[in-house]
Amino acid sequence: MTTKTSLLKVILLGDGGVGKSSIMNRYVTNKFDAHLFHTIGVEFLNKDLEVDGHQVTLQIWDTAGQERFRSLRTPFYRGSDCCLLTFSVDDNQSFLNLGNWKKEFIYYADVKEPEKFPFVVLGNKLDVTERQVSSEEAQQWCQENGDYPYYETSAKDATNVAVAFEEAVRRVLAMDERTDHLIPTDTVKLHRKPRSATTCCS
Amino acid sequence: MVHVYNCHPFASQQIVQVGQEPGLVCCGGGALFVVATGGCKVESYSLEREGCPLICRFATMGTVKSIQHSKIGDYLVTIEEKNSATYLRAYTNWRYQAEEKSRVGVRLLGHLLRGASVGGGVQMEIIEIPLSERPVAVACCPITGDLLVGCENTLVLFTLKTQNQQNLSQQNLQSSWSSTQQNSSQGQTSSQHLSILDFERCVIFHLPKMTPKQVALCGGYVAVQAELEVLVLKLETVSELKTLEESSDTNKSADCVDEQIDFLLIPRHQELLGDRAKDCDLPVSIEKTGLEDRRQYSLSYVLFRRFSPEFFQGCSVEETQLHSLQLYPLYTSNQSVSADDPACMFCFFSLPTAGYLYSLKGGVEPLSTYQYPEKVLEAVLTDHLLHVITKSALQCFTVRCAAVAARIEDPYIDTTMRACPPGNLEVCALRMQLFIGLRSVCVYGRHVILLSTADTEVPDEPERSTQRRGLGRKWTMSSAKETSPAGHGWNIYVVDTVSPFTLYQEMDEYSQRYVETNPQAQSHRHLLSEAHLLLRASLVQMSRQQQDRGGEAAAPPQRDADGPPDNDCSAETTRQELDEAFRHNCALLGDSFSRGSQKDCHLALPYYRMSGLSITEIMSRNRPHPSSPHSFGPGFLFYLKHFLLEETDQTLSQEAADEIVHIFSQSEPSMLVSVCASPAMSHVSPDRTLQILQRLEDTASVSVPMTIAMATMVLRLDDLPQYTQLMERHAEMMLVYGFIEEPRLLLHGGGGGHNTHVRPTALSRQLASSQPGLLVAAMVALHENNKVQLEQADHLFKELSCANSLQVDFWEAMLMASSQDAVIQELLFRLSSVYIDRLTNSDTHSSLTQTTPRRRSLKSADDLISSCSHYGALYPWLTLLSAAHTTSPQHQEALHKLQSLLCGPSLSVGSVVPLLERLSEETMWGFSLHLLCTTRRGQYGSSIEKLLDRCPQAIIAFANHQLQDEHMPLWWQKLLPELCKRTRASPDNSILLAALKETLVVVAMEMSPAEFLELIPDDGAASYFLPHLMTCTQRHLLAN
Ligand SMILES: Nc1nc2c(ncn2[C@@H]2O[C@H](COP(=O)(O)OP(=O)(O)O)[C@@H](O)[C@H]2O)c(=O)[nH]1
Ligand SMILES: [Mg+2]
Repeated sequence: MTTKTSLLKVILLGDGGVGKSSIMNRYVTNKFDAHLFHTIGVEFLNKDLEVDGHQVTLQIWDTAGQERFRSLRTPFYRGSDCCLLTFSVDDNQSFLNLGNWKKEFIYYADVKEPEKFPFVVLGNKLDVTERQVSSEEAQQWCQENGDYPYYETSAKDATNVAVAFEEAVRRVLAMDERTDHLIPTDTVKLHRKPRSATTCCS
Repeated sequence: MVHVYNCHPFASQQIVQVGQEPGLVCCGGGALFVVATGGCKVESYSLEREGCPLICRFATMGTVKSIQHSKIGDYLVTIEEKNSATYLRAYTNWRYQAEEKSRVGVRLLGHLLRGASVGGGVQMEIIEIPLSERPVAVACCPITGDLLVGCENTLVLFTLKTQNQQNLSQQNLQSSWSSTQQNSSQGQTSSQHLSILDFERCVIFHLPKMTPKQVALCGGYVAVQAELEVLVLKLETVSELKTLEESSDTNKSADCVDEQIDFLLIPRHQELLGDRAKDCDLPVSIEKTGLEDRRQYSLSYVLFRRFSPEFFQGCSVEETQLHSLQLYPLYTSNQSVSADDPACMFCFFSLPTAGYLYSLKGGVEPLSTYQYPEKVLEAVLTDHLLHVITKSALQCFTVRCAAVAARIEDPYIDTTMRACPPGNLEVCALRMQLFIGLRSVCVYGRHVILLSTADTEVPDEPERSTQRRGLGRKWTMSSAKETSPAGHGWNIYVVDTVSPFTLYQEMDEYSQRYVETNPQAQSHRHLLSEAHLLLRASLVQMSRQQQDRGGEAAAPPQRDADGPPDNDCSAETTRQELDEAFRHNCALLGDSFSRGSQKDCHLALPYYRMSGLSITEIMSRNRPHPSSPHSFGPGFLFYLKHFLLEETDQTLSQEAADEIVHIFSQSEPSMLVSVCASPAMSHVSPDRTLQILQRLEDTASVSVPMTIAMATMVLRLDDLPQYTQLMERHAEMMLVYGFIEEPRLLLHGGGGGHNTHVRPTALSRQLASSQPGLLVAAMVALHENNKVQLEQADHLFKELSCANSLQVDFWEAMLMASSQDAVIQELLFRLSSVYIDRLTNSDTHSSLTQTTPRRRSLKSADDLISSCSHYGALYPWLTLLSAAHTTSPQHQEALHKLQSLLCGPSLSVGSVVPLLERLSEETMWGFSLHLLCTTRRGQYGSSIEKLLDRCPQAIIAFANHQLQDEHMPLWWQKLLPELCKRTRASPDNSILLAALKETLVVVAMEMSPAEFLELIPDDGAASYFLPHLMTCTQRHLLAN
């Protein structure tokens, strides 16, 4: 008997420095490195896990938050099953940018029904004492934007990291059981790629 | 017909320990890649280490539908599905994914921004390659690493671009520390792939009327396979102007074909080779897409093959589908590894019932058809074997690639020098190996990797059902996580094939057993030919490996993945062993052709040559059993004749030579004379041979060469009387004809053209002393019949150590016979110098002390003057000059011959003037020669003066002979005034006065009285001239 595993693509978005790479590292390798290199473009890691009796391979995509890497990261939004919008509780600007990240994702991922798409919001660096964003503010934003689950995490001391990913999985599974939520296209269309060098892609 | 031989192509088998059920398998770069069914994980195992240990494991981004490894660039390319969308991806630096938990970089084609991963060390990267159509099939070029993608109606060609990482790292990280780090790590392991890969879309092929199922790419050759069609194209870069026209042409033709679609044609069986393939009704146009690519491309058709579904019985129409398309390059042993252009290119494809192999270079031609005994699922071509799998067996067939490569490599194959079995030699099947439920096969070097699943479900079935059910995911409960390795019905086997050399050895043994039972059978020869081709394949393989090893340091890094295709043969077999085996096999093939029928018997010669066996060894191999009535085969006789007729330095022993005489007296007596005349036969025993020749003469009619051959034998027996008797049986002229028929009775060597030296035979030596005239006549005849060059004949006479005598006689005789102007001039010059030599030699030594009493020339001066046009009659005035001296007859002879040449019409006087300068004018004969020269050169004035100085008594004879016609005026312009001048100085000189008188008679005859008067000197006695003036006047009056 062979074991069928399903592959879920989860993407981490948010400003540079909020701790996306740290969260992924914490979750997959259970380590924290205070001197992590900046992410350039896009990277991913797979992690097998079991949620509510379902065997799942989570493909976690880490992205570079800086504006200059936009063209390198946006082509890979497509096909995501869940998006983790991340900010840092000690950086108000990163919180204010959440809306932009959501918009960028919905646009490039070509989500057909954005209001139904599973987003999860993470407020990272919970361990830091000087907070700039309060729990209430964050929760309110989540409420207003589509009732997204909100987790306050710390990659440094591992608070809530696994819980957040498991919630993401649950969201996806729930979506799946409800409906065939999107009609996929047959091919990868990259016509929004700014440098359309090739003639066949139009 | 497929021969089946019970040889064992497989050496060993092992099972790869794979955890999860494999869905897809591919191999390359020393690794085996296994994709779990429906999974998103690739495991790679080392094929180069015992037990195939796991190298690494990495995740893919989607469900892999197809996977290929490129040896150039060491990348993997996949077609993947996720949420029913299809993706094309390339996985690079996969070897760095040692820990599964390291991050994998992802970038889009053309978005090469990162250099060395900043995170430290090399990182695995995935290149996402966007396409506008769904990819169906992929192929990587084994020469360039370029990528060809087959989509619904197009093929897209991507060129591989590599960027040296060291450069990048220096750009990105300016710290000197990191760059030295890079350098040192590069130095440590050459297998590290430090270049960063990217692809550039360069050409799109539009194939509106074809639906690709498989594609192949190799060195500019592009092959596409649809269900029942195969099309091979060649893409070449050309100069800019030319293609612009051409590409617009192809576009046009594509357009007009578009208009006439919508015909429903029942496909016919069709095979179009080379240029003719463009007549297939499949239009192809190319579109250039590379941005920075300044090159222009042109497309040509190479091969088209179409099968009609009903063409094959035994398979249902649905089953009748092509598979296993392959383009296969082969480098010959003299090609360097870095050569991008392989000497041979093959194309293979297969139906379930038969496989087809074509050679594409040097003229497209079908090479072999493989008729399978059972339905074949997949086939893979290698250097020397074709591996096929059926549902239940792995089977090998031999291939003919080595025969094609050998002919491309060596132009002397198919000549008398070297041979090789033909490329269309029937293929053979070797022993098969049984398996249960085979699914797929791939090959890396000597490793054949098989995937078997006992369960009969088609591997891609689960994905199909997924598609049918829309997006429903198949969830599996975690409790079902019980992949017990014991109970699974699947396996991956690595079956190692034996080296071609080992296979050769088995065939060789097999053939030896075979020959004992049935030596004449065609199958035995087939087996030997088969073994021969295996050896040639081994030799090519070995020299490639030696080059690989030699060129390792210089090889570009991406070549490192290009592991040795077969590493056992180098370890176990040395070059020497291979060469030894090759000679052994050639000897056996030589035997086979030497004993076989008339057909192809000539092949005994090149195979024996390649075997390196001596003629005596070959003779002993062909010695018939004393018991059997079996005679000598035509191939053996052909070989012997060639050996004996050709110039060899080898002289056979008496036994061997006698045996040859025996063989020919039995099998081909008409050849005996030329056999005996061969230089190799000089030790043949004369009495035995004489007997055989005599017996032959008794049965056949008498022939001149036969008589001469017998005379040669008698001569060796020192029986001069019998020799003379034999030679007198025929007139000299007949003997000359005999020598023309068989020149080797007189001379050996010289078969190789101008510069090869010839040697006289014993008969020649005898003739030189007893019948020199015959020898000279024979040599002249040989020369005139182009059997010998002038230099060779000269050499022969020198060898006979009678230089300047017979050689000169030969030249004189040649002058008589030859009609070639160049030869005549050469001979005239040589003879003149010989005569001058003789004159000076006998001049310096008195004729009494002459050391060698010289034999008389065959032809005297008088003989030559009367029979040879180049020797002129001596001018009458010369006799007056030579009367005075007394020298030896030889001297006299030489003088007359030289004078005669100078009097003759052919000698160009200018050419001998420098030679004559050696002769003094003191002697009268010397003077005569110089005078002849000046006269011949038209310097009459000075001749007259000189003659009057030295020998005035000859002047009138001279003037009468020379001063005629246009030179007539010299009588009065030069001779008369000279004589007047000289008689005035010495009035009592009766010779001069007589000459003057004679001159006046002539002048009076020729001139008018008035002119005559003018000539009379003022101071002269009028009475002296008066009678002549009278004669002149009277003659004049009479004339009027
Ligand atoms: N104190 C604290 N620092 C964190 C935490 N997560 C990340 N950091 C630090 O924040 C910086 C940026 O983190 P990184 O993971 O690279 O952010 P990214 O740009 O979003 O990937 C690094 O110096 C991390 O050490 C956290 O939970 N607590
Ligand atoms: Mg990061």
